[in-house]
Amino acid sequence: MRRFPRVGSGVRSPANAAMAAVTVFALCSGAWLLRNGAETHAPPQPSAAQARAGLDGRAGERAAVPALPPSPPDRIRIPAIRVDAPLTGLGLTRTGSLGVPPAARRNLAGWYEAGTTPGEQGTAIVAGHVDNADGPAVFYDLGALTKGSTIEVDRRDGSVAVFTVDSVEVYAAKDFPDEKVYGAARRPELRVITCGGGYSRGTGYQGNVVVFAHLTGSR
Amino acid sequence: MRRTARPLTGTALAVAAAALAAAPAYGAPAGDLEVSPSPVAPGGQVAVRTAACGDGGTATGDASAVGAGSLGLAPGPQEREATGRFRVPPSAQPGTYEITATCTGNGRRVTGDLVVTLTSGREQVHPRGSVKTGVGGALGPDPVQTAAGVATLAVAAAGGTWLLHRRARGDGI
Repeated sequence: MRRFPRVGSGVRSPANAAMAAVTVFALCSGAWLLRNGAETHAPPQPSAAQARAGLDGRAGERAAVPALPPSPPDRIRIPAIRVDAPLTGLGLTRTGSLGVPPAARRNLAGWYEAGTTPGEQGTAIVAGHVDNADGPAVFYDLGALTKGSTIEVDRRDGSVAVFTVDSVEVYAAKDFPDEKVYGAARRPELRVITCGGGYSRGTGYQGNVVVFAHLTGSR
Repeated sequence: MRRTARPLTGTALAVAAAALAAAPAYGAPAGDLEVSPSPVAPGGQVAVRTAACGDGGTATGDASAVGAGSLGLAPGPQEREATGRFRVPPSAQPGTYEITATCTGNGRRVTGDLVVTLTSGREQVHPRGSVKTGVGGALGPDPVQTAAGVATLAVAAAGGTWLLHRRARGDGI
């Protein structure tokens, strides 16, 4: 009779061990999920190392490749942050600020269609949402982009303009450097803009992340 | 007082109207040809768009009034409206010019006014200020993760109860 419990425990021990393992695993992962889910997920912001290099930044502005003829863009791709989004035309708001794409479309960016087309000489401007009411949007990871990254723009004439990132900056809305961001350039340049620079419940995002890039190729 | 109030209101309305006219036009009613920006300086880029040609419709534009010849209007891959662009010749004189577009499919003709003004230096109207590209929707707690966490903890509680129950029965643990 005394052997039955031993036989029994021999059969049940693996079951008990498995159940104990499942319990411990569920406890740990449940705690992790709860903690992670309650955390705020602020979009990445550029580090100081991605800022424009002091004085020699402007001095090094030579046209690396010849400018392309004007052609409206259809699509933007930034492989480093897995962006592949169509572009819609943007205008200006009544206050003169750049319009934005419809927020409901998570994967949609826009370009300033009264300005320079990407690849043409001058400053082309692309903007997209960092998030919408439902969560992250097309340019959520823009602040994680680094110098030297590649940005590709498909154009309606069939060509692809290839840009290389010069710097990634974050600017406060109340002291926005209009000339630096939107001003004319002597070579084909691109700006990619989204919201960033801290968030407050009352006034929303405090500024913009701005990527500066210039044309380095086409195909 | 009543007599002075009316002229004052009139002046205020006139000032408001002038301010509206000076603001860059964008968002013209459907059926028209939107011309943006207007006013524009000679040499500047102009974008035109119209919803008159229907979904995926194309059109042929005529900007010869300002000396820019004809242009094609085609919808972008994500747009319902046909868009096109042209450059105002650097030699264009200040004034108001009629830009027209004729839809390829339904033959509808739409028009829009382009105002050319002489402004020193700048060819393009640049945007000003920051861009409103976020509402903070990515910042809140994630309800899916929270729900998964609660469910997983419920599994852990059930497992723990089962093990304690067996231990209490002396089944060996």
